[in-house]
This record gives sequence, C-alpha cells and structure tokens, in this order.
Amino acid sequence: MAFLAPLFFVGLAALAIPVLIHLTQREKKMVQQFPSLMFVRRIPYQTVRRRKIRDLALLCVRLAALMLIVGAFARPFLWRPDAATAIGPGAREVVVLLDQSYSMAYGDRWDRAKAAARDAINRLGASDRASVVLFSSGADIALRSTAEKDRLIASFDTTTPTPAATRFGPALKVAGSILAESPLPRKEAILISDFQRTGWRGEEGSRLPTGSTLTPVAIGGPVDKPNATVTTASLARSTFSEQERVTLTASVANRTVAPVTGDSLTLEIGGRAIQTEPLTVPPEGSATVTFAPFTLASRNVRVTVRAGADALATDNVFSLVVSPSAPVRIVVVDTGTKTGAGLYLTRALSIGDAPKFEVTNRLPSAVSDEDLRRASVVLLNDVDVNAALGRRLQRFVQDGGGLFVAAGPRASWPAEADLLPASLSQPIDRSRGESARVGALEYGHPVFEVFRAPRSGDFSSARFYAYRSVTAVPNTQVLARFDAGTPALIERKVGSGHVMLWASTLDLSWSDLPLKPVFLPFLHRSMVHLANYTEPSPWLTIGQVFDPDASSAKAQASGRLALTPSGKRLPLEDEGSSAQVLELTEQGFYEIRGQKANSDVTVVASNVDPAESDLTALDPAEVVTAATTGTAQNGQQVASDIPLTPEAQERSQRLWWYLLATGILLLGVDTLFSNWLSRT
Amino acid sequence: MSVAAGHSQGAIPGARFLDPVVLARVGNLELVSRAVVDGFINGMHKAPYFGASVDFAEHRGYVPGDDIRRVDWKLWARTDRYYVKEYEAESNSNFAVLLDISKSMNFGTTGITKLDYARILTACLTNLVHHQRDRVGLVTFDNDVVDFVPSSAKHMDVVLHTLDRVVAGRPSSLKPPFQKMAEHFGRRGMLVIVSDLYEEPDAVLDAIAPLRFRGNDLLVFHVLDKAELEFGFTDASAFEDIESGEQMPVVPDAFRKEYQSLVRAHLDALQQRFSANRIDYTVLDTSKPLDHALYRYLSSRARMMKIR
Repeated sequence: MAFLAPLFFVGLAALAIPVLIHLTQREKKMVQQFPSLMFVRRIPYQTVRRRKIRDLALLCVRLAALMLIVGAFARPFLWRPDAATAIGPGAREVVVLLDQSYSMAYGDRWDRAKAAARDAINRLGASDRASVVLFSSGADIALRSTAEKDRLIASFDTTTPTPAATRFGPALKVAGSILAESPLPRKEAILISDFQRTGWRGEEGSRLPTGSTLTPVAIGGPVDKPNATVTTASLARSTFSEQERVTLTASVANRTVAPVTGDSLTLEIGGRAIQTEPLTVPPEGSATVTFAPFTLASRNVRVTVRAGADALATDNVFSLVVSPSAPVRIVVVDTGTKTGAGLYLTRALSIGDAPKFEVTNRLPSAVSDEDLRRASVVLLNDVDVNAALGRRLQRFVQDGGGLFVAAGPRASWPAEADLLPASLSQPIDRSRGESARVGALEYGHPVFEVFRAPRSGDFSSARFYAYRSVTAVPNTQVLARFDAGTPALIERKVGSGHVMLWASTLDLSWSDLPLKPVFLPFLHRSMVHLANYTEPSPWLTIGQVFDPDASSAKAQASGRLALTPSGKRLPLEDEGSSAQVLELTEQGFYEIRGQKANSDVTVVASNVDPAESDLTALDPAEVVTAATTGTAQNGQQVASDIPLTPEAQERSQRLWWYLLATGILLLGVDTLFSNWLSRT
Repeated sequence: MSVAAGHSQGAIPGARFLDPVVLARVGNLELVSRAVVDGFINGMHKAPYFGASVDFAEHRGYVPGDDIRRVDWKLWARTDRYYVKEYEAESNSNFAVLLDISKSMNFGTTGITKLDYARILTACLTNLVHHQRDRVGLVTFDNDVVDFVPSSAKHMDVVLHTLDRVVAGRPSSLKPPFQKMAEHFGRRGMLVIVSDLYEEPDAVLDAIAPLRFRGNDLLVFHVLDKAELEFGFTDASAFEDIESGEQMPVVPDAFRKEYQSLVRAHLDALQQRFSANRIDYTVLDTSKPLDHALYRYLSSRARMMKIR
C-alpha cells in the first residue's frame, strides 16, 4: 500500500488531542479527602471500573475515527505485485522451473510436479508467454518464451528425473536471464520442486530481475516410504597367494521415517551378482554390509553394490572401479660395500600398502635404462655419481621422475649435470660436543605436512653426528635445516620431476634418524611426493568433471571417445585437437577409449550424490525471499511505469472513500456512545 | 457555628470554648451521675456529713462533743474563743473526657472540623462539671494516649489549656489507648468519650469494655460531619483516606444510597450494642448547634435517671 498524499499524515498529530484532554482531565481530577474509606471500601467500585473501560472504548472510537479520516485524506492506494499479476493489465512472461533431480522420483512426486507445471501453463492468458526450464544440479531451457501451450507441455511431459542433485541457484539464474530479456511488462517465475534443504545454499547471486515474482509450488509430502541409499563403499586390500584381494564394505543409509526391512544388498562384479546380503536399516539410521573378499584379476574391474527396489530406486546403486594397486617403483642405488648400509632404507620401504613400494637395488654402474624407464623414483644412497649416470638421471628427472640424494661421506655429483639443488661441500663433524639436530621444518610441504600437528612426530629428537655442508642453488626450496642453519633437505624442480637432497646419511653412520619414529613416514612421504603418486578414486559423483589428461588415459593416442552408461559416444577432443573434459551426467560406468580397437580402456564409475536422498524440505519462503529481496520496491516502480486504465486507477485508489465513510460512521457512533455514557 | 465568637485575645487558654449560649442552656439542667462513686454523692447532692472535703466553709462555735481536733487553734489564739472549722461536705465525683484527636477528626465541611466541635463540647462539659465541683480531667488519644490530665478540682485551667493545643496528627485506634487508660482510672467515675468511632461496632465495644468493667459511668459522643452522614458530594473524584492516604475512585451519585445505608447500619449497630451495655450513646452532627445537642442529650439523661 502506498499513499498519494502522505503529507496529510501530519494530521495524525491530532490524535494527541483527545489523549491530552483525557490526561489533562485526569490531572485536574479532584482529590477529596475523607476521614475514612471504611464504608466506601465496602461498596464495590466495579461501577467505576466499568465506567472507565467504557470511557476507554470511547477514546478508542474517537482515535480510530480521526485516524481513518486522516488516512482517507492521505489517499491510500493498493499495490500488490501478485495482485497486479493476477488482475492487472499487460502480458506476462512466465518461467516454469521444474525440478528434475532424482529425488523427484520418490513416490509420485514427479507426476505431481508435471501436473503442477501443466496447470501453470494452462492458466496462461492469450498474450502471455512462457518458458520451461528443467533443472537439477544444472539448468536446461527446454523451451524458451513461447505462447504455444501444447509445445510447452510437451517439452517436459515425457521427461523423467535425472540422476543429478538439486541446485536452485542455476535454475534461478536461468530464470532471471529469461525474465531480464523479456519485453513483457509482468514477469513471473514458478518454481516447482520438492524444495530439498540440500539444494539451497543461500545463493546470493540468484536474484530475479526487479519487478519479478517467484511463486513456489512445493511438491512435498510425508517421507513415510522406506528408502535405502548406498552412500559409499570402502575397500580393504590384502594379498593372498601373490594375488591382491579386496574386501568391500558398503554403507547404507535410510533417511526416511520408515524402516528398511527384508531388503537385500547385492555385490556385482563385471555385471554378475557375486554375493547377496540381507539388509535392515532403522528409520533415520544407517548400516554397513561387508562382503567376502574377491580377487582382482585385472584392471578396471567394474563393481556394483545394489540394494532392492524401494520408493527411490536411483540411489540404490553404487558403482566403483577397482584396479590392482600400482606400486611406486624405486631404484635404490648404493655401493653395497658397507654392511647394513641400506638395511633401514630397505626395511622402511618394504612396509606400506597405500601405496606399496617396489624397491630395486642397483650399483651405480648397474643402473640400466630399463630401470630408469620403469622406476618412478631413484634413490642415491651415498654414492659417487659419474657424469654419464648424472646425465641419464637428469633426463630421467626432466621426464617426470623423482630423485632422492642422500649425501653421505662418499657422495659426489658431476659438475656436468646441473640437477642437484645444492652443491656439496666438506662434511661437518659434530661427533664432539653437542650433536646437531634438525629444526625449522617446512610444514607446508607435502613431505612434512603430516608432522604439522602437535605430537605428530619430533624430528628434533634425532641426533646428527655429521652432515654435509651444502650450498643451495637458486630456485630451490629448503625444506629443513640443521640447528646451525645449514640446509638439511633441499628440493628442486627440474623439468617435470623433482630432486631432493638430504645432507646426511640414511643409516646409522652419521645419525640415529633411522631409529626414530619419524624416519618411516618421512621416507614414505618423500617417495610418494617424488613419484607424484595420487590414489586413484574408485568413483566420481555426477556433476563432477573427469579430466582424461590427468588419468592413465593420457598415454593413449588422440581421437579418444567416451562411451556413456546409456551408450552414447562422446568425442573427447574437438577439431583443434585440444583435449576436452568429460562432465559426468549419467549414473554407471563411463569408458574412455581410443579410436583403435586394441587401445587401452579407462573406466570411470559415476554415482549419484547421496545427499540428494535426504528429502528434508526447507521453507520455500526462504528461496523466494532470497530470490526476490530488494525487487519489491523496484517492482512498484516498474508497475507504476505501466499505463493503467482509468478504471484500474480508480479501483486502486478508491480505498480513501471507504476510510472516510468509516471514519464518519465512527464519529456518529462516538456521539451516540458518549450520550449514552453521560446518561448512565 | 458561632461557638467561638466569644473568644478574645489574652484570655485564658481554652476560654474561647466556653460559649455562654451553650452554658446558659445546659446550666439549667442537672448533670446527674448514675451512681455514687466510692460512697459519695455526685454533683449537686449534698453529703450527709461534714469533714470529707478540703473546701473550707465556715467557723462555728465549739460545743461539747465536737472533736477537739477540729478546733481552730489559731483563731483561739487571736480571740480566746473556741471555734470549730467546718468544710463543704459535698461528695466529689471524678469526671474525665476521653477526646479522640486522631487525624480523621480533623475533617469538616460545615466550617468547623470535628475536632474543634469536640473541643468545644469537651470544654462545655468540663466547665459544667467543674461548676458542680466535681473533679475534671482530660485524656487525648489517637492510637495511643497523647495527653493525660488527671481528674482534679483544680485542673480546669489545665484541661482548657490542653484542649487549646491539641493537634490531630496520627491515625486512630481505640483499643490500645483505652487499655492503657483503664489502668489509670482506678477510681470509679464518669468518663465521656468523644470520637468519630471509625471502627467496627464490635471492635469499639471491645475497646471500651475495660473502662466499663471498672465500674465507670460511660458517655459516648459520636461526632460526625454532615458529609459523613449524608455523603453529599457531587463530583466524581478520588477519595483519599485522611489517615492512611489510600485513594479510591468514587462516583458519589452512584455511591450515596449504599453509603448512607452502611452508615445508618453502623450507627444502629453502635446504638444497639451500647444500649445493651448500658452505655449512653449520642450521635452529634457538627452542622447542628452544640447547645442543642447537649440539651437533647442531658434531657434524655435526666429522663433516664427519673425512670431509674
């Protein structure tokens, strides 16, 4: 509501007059002194109170009359955006936003959502236009700005929910762009959804244009049908008879108020059911099912965990791709002359499953090209490197390999190969007096990140009786220093690979570091870092992007194709031969393969977002408020720009007449009322 | 009311209360005590023998048989004759006014407050009684005894002086001061209570009972303003209790009938209870002349004595 003559509200000050008169009379009221109220007190003074209450009512009547008269002179008029939309003039631009996320498949939600969309379209006027936007994690314009109702209905009538999750933000942005481009005077978006809490993150940028309205249509209802959701799976690897075995444990959640009973959970490998376990999940609870171990015979084994049919079938399937674990191959180069020199090193690298380390020991003269080709990391354990080996190692690092140099008393490096991060100098003897210790670790580096937290490993407990004095070259990073300030560990990036120089030994000759608890994680983290090793993810979630260049598929020839779970073939390289990423939109297994028949195949498992199975609804007003906040006032401006018919203008402003009539009527009532009061 | 018209500056304190009109009317009547106190005849009744009084009357010649202790030896020394001293031998009665000087007495709508009216009444009665050679006393009280003038034939001036300076100040409560007074009035006498009696009838009687039980002859003057009797107010206003300060919104027109009936019931109840206890009770309206009130009372008192 607004007012044509708001200055008349100054007249509201007149409301103070009756109040002041009332107060003044109260102040002037006589106080009659009386010897005793002994008898007066016995007389019920209800009469007096009733009289006061009647007076108060009289005062209220007078105030109301004055207010109404002042309000009438202020010339109020009604302005309601929705009312204008409903009854006002001008054509409408309507955007129907239809939630197509997989939670809409719960019960009959999708049918009701489509019915609501049809109803919205059927209510369009002759001059109205509408668009249909189907949205889940993204938003697609099914049909843009047309007045043909049949085409609008057909654009969504045969669709089904997608396996993607709900996100309101993209849909509102698309609706905003459509409405912003529309020349029609009235703009409206109709949001048809189950309004899941997980779909709204308070998108601040998802605001509709000024003057637009957002009408929510909640397709909700009770969540009383059981729904089992396979949320995740964990793999435990073991080795049996030199074959890797995997034990799979699946987690199942039930976010409904009905228990999941009598259901089953099936493990499928390569499309064949291997094992079925009974499944019982309490309401609002979860359960885990561990299957028997199975042997990994090959790469890219397709594993599927499948629950029985329920109210929402989309989240009953969980896919993952399991491959035998790939070890980090390390070539340890040492002289082998010193007894036990590589004992601690070998023992440390023989421990570990994620990843495993495959160690090959070589003499400096025995390092072959095949060794370097297979290896991810070369560890020089206090050896004298000649120029030929130095150059080969330089190429190895430039191609992406990792080199770890432990600089003991025998270590030397040829000047021809510019590879080490520091130049080696004479050893420093700290066997007399206080031994040296390592401090000033670079905890932000991946090697030392695990030691960042308190009580996560104390390097200062290790004592160093001697170390090599080194001088760092430019463009290197000192990761650790001895207490004297000289570098203890230095890293240098060369080409695609990394080189790390440890200025002491990895045995007990110069330090007792191998006896300390930090030795093993330090060595493991260093090898993993130098090998650039990342744990392959057994599955991805729909909506995520798969980069073939970052996977093992990079080794394939050009002309790669992606085969989607539904059988579509998607080229992964455009005409310019620049690689494309693959956005996962379907549930199941994607295959990335080359054009050739014998090319290697990469399999990616794609799963639905388990958060979408949480059907907890939010208040649609929250979305409406966020999407339309700040547009109401501007909406008034827009509406005022629309030329109204004289009848419409008169209709919106005639409220003053009613106010004035009511005010005068109240004054008449006041007269009668006060006369009656005076008589009584 | 012109009761104070005869007052002049420099007169004896309290003398302004001795209104000659009032005294002229009541002087023709006998103030008769109900019983003889301590074996004496009160007021105008002559004693059957001499000797109990200290007021000298005359000398007479000694005759054999007279008690030689009553011979005036000083006169014998001057005249060499034997004379015997004779005294006024009327029996003396104790008379005391118990005057309520509580705050509620300081109210009046007819040009005179109840306290002033009560003071005049007290002065008149005291003067009357004094002229009959009875002992006069005064006790003023509110919720405690304020002034206490013991009964004595010489205390007329003291009583008048005390009356002149009483000030109403505190709320009233009958029982505590009356209990305290009962301990002092050991000798039976006549007690006149002047008060507005703003307590429940049973409470009033309960408070007065200790005085009555000691054999005192009680007279109660219930002094009320005309407004208290008729509630003739017109404007709706907040009525404030003079003693407690409590205020109540009152619409007099709506209250009047009920108030009058309550006051009437209160007075009737007091009348009934006092009669049952043989206590004389009179309601005095301060708008009525005092002499008229006294005359009516003393007349009825005299009639009652004749009946007895």
